[in-house]
Amino acid sequence: MAAITLIEAVNAAMAYELEHDQDVVLFGEDVGKNGGVFRATDGLQKKYGKERVIDTPLAESMIAGLAVGMAAQGMKPIAEMQFMGFIFPAVDQIFCHAARLRHRTRGRITQPMVIRAPYGGGIHAPEHHSESTEALFSHIPGLKVVIPSNPSRAYGLMLAAIRDPDPVIFLEPKRVYRIVKHEVEDNGEEYPLEACFVDREGSDITLISWGAMMHETLQAAEKLAAEGIDAEVIDVATVSPIDMDTILESVEKTGRACIIQEAPKSGSIGSEIAAEIAEKGVLNLLAPIGRVSGYDTVMPYYRLEKQYMPTVDRILDEVRTIMEYK
Amino acid sequence: MKQFNLPDLGEGLPDAEIVRWLVKEGDTVTVDQPMVEMETAKAVVEVPSPFAGRIAKLHGQEGDVINTGDLLVSFGDGAVAEDDSSEESASKESASAESSESEVSAETSSDDVVGDTFMLPDLGEGLPDAEIVRWLVKEGDTVTVDQPMVEMETAKAVVEVPSPFAAKISKLYGQAGDVINTGDPLVEFGGSGSGSKKAAPKKEAGEEKRADSGTVVGAVEVGNNVVAETTNSVVKALARKLKVDLTQVTGTGKDGAITQKDVREAAKNGTGATKAEAAPVAQQESGFDTSNPLAYKASPAVRALARKLGVDLGNCQASGRKGSITRDDVENASKSGSAPASSQSAQSSTSPTTSSTPSSTGGLPTLNVEVKPETVRGVRRAMAMGMAHSHSTVVPTTLVEDVDISAWPKGTDSLARYVRALVTAAKAVPAVNAWFDGEKFERLLHPNVNVGIAVDSGDGLYVPVVHNADRMSMTDVRARVQDLRQKIETKSLKQDDQQNATITLSNFGSIAGRYGTPVVSPPQVAILGTGRFRNELKLTDKGITNAKMLPLSLTFDHRACTGGEAARFLAAVMEDLQKAQ
Repeated sequence: MAAITLIEAVNAAMAYELEHDQDVVLFGEDVGKNGGVFRATDGLQKKYGKERVIDTPLAESMIAGLAVGMAAQGMKPIAEMQFMGFIFPAVDQIFCHAARLRHRTRGRITQPMVIRAPYGGGIHAPEHHSESTEALFSHIPGLKVVIPSNPSRAYGLMLAAIRDPDPVIFLEPKRVYRIVKHEVEDNGEEYPLEACFVDREGSDITLISWGAMMHETLQAAEKLAAEGIDAEVIDVATVSPIDMDTILESVEKTGRACIIQEAPKSGSIGSEIAAEIAEKGVLNLLAPIGRVSGYDTVMPYYRLEKQYMPTVDRILDEVRTIMEYK
Repeated sequence: MKQFNLPDLGEGLPDAEIVRWLVKEGDTVTVDQPMVEMETAKAVVEVPSPFAGRIAKLHGQEGDVINTGDLLVSFGDGAVAEDDSSEESASKESASAESSESEVSAETSSDDVVGDTFMLPDLGEGLPDAEIVRWLVKEGDTVTVDQPMVEMETAKAVVEVPSPFAAKISKLYGQAGDVINTGDPLVEFGGSGSGSKKAAPKKEAGEEKRADSGTVVGAVEVGNNVVAETTNSVVKALARKLKVDLTQVTGTGKDGAITQKDVREAAKNGTGATKAEAAPVAQQESGFDTSNPLAYKASPAVRALARKLGVDLGNCQASGRKGSITRDDVENASKSGSAPASSQSAQSSTSPTTSSTPSSTGGLPTLNVEVKPETVRGVRRAMAMGMAHSHSTVVPTTLVEDVDISAWPKGTDSLARYVRALVTAAKAVPAVNAWFDGEKFERLLHPNVNVGIAVDSGDGLYVPVVHNADRMSMTDVRARVQDLRQKIETKSLKQDDQQNATITLSNFGSIAGRYGTPVVSPPQVAILGTGRFRNELKLTDKGITNAKMLPLSLTFDHRACTGGEAARFLAAVMEDLQKAQ
């Protein structure tokens, strides 16, 4: 069992499915010969050939359209958007076709496709490379939006995403691509989609996060424990549709909730989770629901990105405010 | 020959233990090829080679502990940065393919070394040069592998350039603001840690190695810590999704752990399905635990109302949806007087955390079948808690005195006079009209005088407050006291009416009792008890007279006031009370 990074886990999961399912094909910009800008597809073209691991032109709309056509014909395409900031030309294909085809054909044609994209800030990248726009996709019925927070989840959730009969937007938090390693057994075992993972059990407050921010959130939970605040930490993982049962069960136990996300605050996944807790968990709330998020501004360039992104200290401040609420 | 010393593996740890060599002497390694697994106190870490070349000697065996900075690997001659032009051309191709996204690379970790001189690597995709923003090291410094040496600005980004090896820096080329061409010398290493000096710096275009650190845009942080997945959370998540009760599942994993497979099997076989609405948290029957606010379901607005009315949620019906307490439930509890637990909050800002229900320890033994203990609720319970709190914190000392009030005209309102006397004395000795926090050791001398008046009732003890008595006439005081009594009778006393007393009066003498030891109610520091009048023969200058005497008992918290302050206060009270008007 090898210790691998999140990006290596993505590679391993795709390799496993390329190996075991002849319907799986993979394509995108620079994914073949180059092996991907982050090495996600490193070595796959060499092993599985140019017929199944395909370099495409710079044309995101075409990439998504190709996936729609292939999926409609029973293949299982994995399409890469080189960065999430470049996905917008493909939105027409994704929203207007991939997300709707099952409905349009009364269930006769589904779209077993995965659209991968690295997303999020923290790597000193230029403009358009650092946004967290997961909420845009979570708003569209028919799409699943999945975000792994660590190597094991990248492997298990990627397998589940490829095998899922419907389109999955698979967003990879690139800041944590290589930050830690997990011992991952390459045995093809998938993780459940639409399920939250409770990474830390606690009784005082529920911290809810996903993707790269899970790392800050878990660190904050450790520091809070030293202050005598026992936090439960939930990795949402599938941010659409959200497994609200797990979150509500936790809030019923703790009476307090704080959501931590990198995206801007307004109209976000955090907004949706907060609204659901308010709607269904109001009777258990002892304090207002807290949110630690990016700001409602354009994601700043690399010099200021650290000021934009939530830090452990910002999480601690918000949690203390919630805990002190009377 | 080059030497490689053990770098700090991340957390300022002093040493690390060799777990396993991944190479042997005589092997040829490439840049970044893992050479050894080292175990620190925190994690097992792979240590990569900083050079390409032949390994001459491994210093240490498995199990040996190596100090940070000590020699780990010696390389034979010919250890140079490795070339890999194919990968270089691949990334160049990527750049030319998509120039709008042309990527800035910080993957400088180990390449571009010729001899002991480090050349500025290509920080982008074919960018010709970069500008020095700031040196992070100076000549003579000893750096470790991957330690940032300089911030360079390209046309695309500011990038930190890390050191390719652990060595002493002998020369820095250029200053902040200088533009360095790609491939020109940037840093020269020398001295300990870098072995023999190589020939003059020289670089052949296109031959430098681009180590694959997987960064194409910006800089992805790289860690070597191996972290364990919380497998348990995955199994639980799957069980919730498939509605499988994990207590009914037999684990087949390591040490009997339940695996995802076990859960899927159980779901398929229908074994261990969770019962519909399986056992919600049982809470209703086990009595009221008021220490846990989550024992009750109530919206934040209802909780706020309960706080405002001083109603304990434990004393409310739960007539709402899903067993929740509604606003009506709180208001009913408030009206029935079962729970205005508020003279407590009037009396103390630091509410006691003692257990509130005596029955929780088993209750009183019943003496006969007809009479059973009743739960003490509301005002009476608040009294019990408040008094216990006072008893456990205050250091009470009581002074007693008699004052001659013979001069009072007939029909004088004694209560109004007592209030006036307290106000007068409070102005004379502010230390007694104060709040005291024994935990923080703070006292607050109040500029105004809010006189709490202890009122006995069937429900228990109320202490309504005459606020700002120092700004009221005696008629006003009388009217206010009348108003408060009325409110108690009609059970319409508000929490506001009972808060923020700065000193308290207990007129037990209106019933019986000469002297007493009244109980100070923290954070206040004093309470004055007035006993029953009596006539007494008194020896004066003019001979023996029949004097009307009022007994006074002043209890003060000796943590907050000196005896002198209390005595002066009492004297001031007496002086005012002796006056006719």
